[in-house]
Amino acid sequence: MKKILLPFLIYLAFISESSLMQALLPHENSMEWQFIPRFSMIMILFIAMFVNSTYGLVYGLGFGLLTDLLYTDIIGVYLFSMAATAYVTSVISRYLFGNLIVALLLSIVGVSILEFTVYGLNSLIGISNQMIDMFLYKRLLPTLILNGFFALLIYYPYVKQLNLLKDTIKEN
Amino acid sequence: MPHFFSNKRLIILLVSIIILVALIGFSMKKRESLTLPEQFLKDTAGLTQTIFYKPANSIAGFFENLAEMKQLYKENQMLKARLDEYAKLYVQYEEVKKTNKTLKAQLDKEEDLTDFKVREATVIGRSPDQWNQFIYINKGEKDGIKPKMAVISPQGFIGKVTNVSLFQSTVQLISDNDRTNRFSAIVQGEKNIFGTIEGYDPKRQALLFKKIPVDAKIKKGQKVITSGLGDVFPPNLLIGEVIEIEPDEVGLTQTAYLKPSADLYDLSHVMVLEREMPAVGESLKEKEEE
Repeated sequence: MKKILLPFLIYLAFISESSLMQALLPHENSMEWQFIPRFSMIMILFIAMFVNSTYGLVYGLGFGLLTDLLYTDIIGVYLFSMAATAYVTSVISRYLFGNLIVALLLSIVGVSILEFTVYGLNSLIGISNQMIDMFLYKRLLPTLILNGFFALLIYYPYVKQLNLLKDTIKEN
Repeated sequence: MPHFFSNKRLIILLVSIIILVALIGFSMKKRESLTLPEQFLKDTAGLTQTIFYKPANSIAGFFENLAEMKQLYKENQMLKARLDEYAKLYVQYEEVKKTNKTLKAQLDKEEDLTDFKVREATVIGRSPDQWNQFIYINKGEKDGIKPKMAVISPQGFIGKVTNVSLFQSTVQLISDNDRTNRFSAIVQGEKNIFGTIEGYDPKRQALLFKKIPVDAKIKKGQKVITSGLGDVFPPNLLIGEVIEIEPDEVGLTQTAYLKPSADLYDLSHVMVLEREMPAVGESLKEKEEE
């Protein structure tokens, strides 16, 4: 039961991204500000920070592939970006002490890495034609604020769960 | 950081980049149908989305109602004024419909290019990253939906069906910047002016209407509709209104910017259209088989 809980929670966050985009955010989005929910990425980043890099990498690959298949037309962009982001974040977190401020900062850094990689790859393929200044102000900034709030919201209950998971891994 | 770029990791990074490029190259080809695992995944996600969208929509609806209450009085007065106009138009419409019917009967012409079958669907989700403009609807292959069908909202044309799985399908909006996402359209006026809709300009929040002949005279506020020439979509679906015109980079054609008539961000119920009349190519093929 406990083994299913974590993937299930991330899956719920993953689906809620699309529902949130459909129902709650449309009005804000039509006013030029683009709030992009990256909730599943935040949860995977926490795994990479608080459990270990292998777990983060595997979850990043899994949910990256899911994002590619369900939400986009091209396979590979999110698969690569999410896994790479999870790995880089876990490497950085080895040198830092894991508390609330550091976790928030790292999740914001992680989401920016993801946004930049996806933006770069999509511009390369020709899916996005947004200018870099518009990307920074109209998209990246609101996105970071939204996801920062989400990270703050889930920090205490979620990290408790992750520490339990880490303990069971150590026992084995 | 000695661990970060050791030899082994560098090789893994390079290999994964090669795999990435291969995957992108593979999936950039337009595929007509999805593979079975893909369909299964999409159906499962569609099922979870249907559970989610109802509470999410009701919360959103509550806030929307609060905002709307302020404008209710003004709107009511305007609508009353419109109602008189409507009665007049309705009488005219009935008359025109009747004459049309009799004329058609005289010509022995039953099928018309403009006939189409309508299926209603509910939007259950939307692609969260705004690079891809996809919405997901709760009708699929089981309900008779096929790829390339036109999708409209009550205000106008919004896009086409791209992928279909058993219980849900994906709709690509006209604002998607994919290079295969192009539509032939005409400017409504005394003379039809043809062009193609090619993507979306995020800065102006407008659709790009390109390849208009350089000598064509277009005014602001003119309506643009689908042409129906591509054999795929029914004609006369409203796409948008011209807000700006400028010559192309080379100067051989003109580009117009269109304000979409449907609100592409606030979609909840949509209609999927199927053309009743078989397209020319298909009927030819059938004849050959006979």
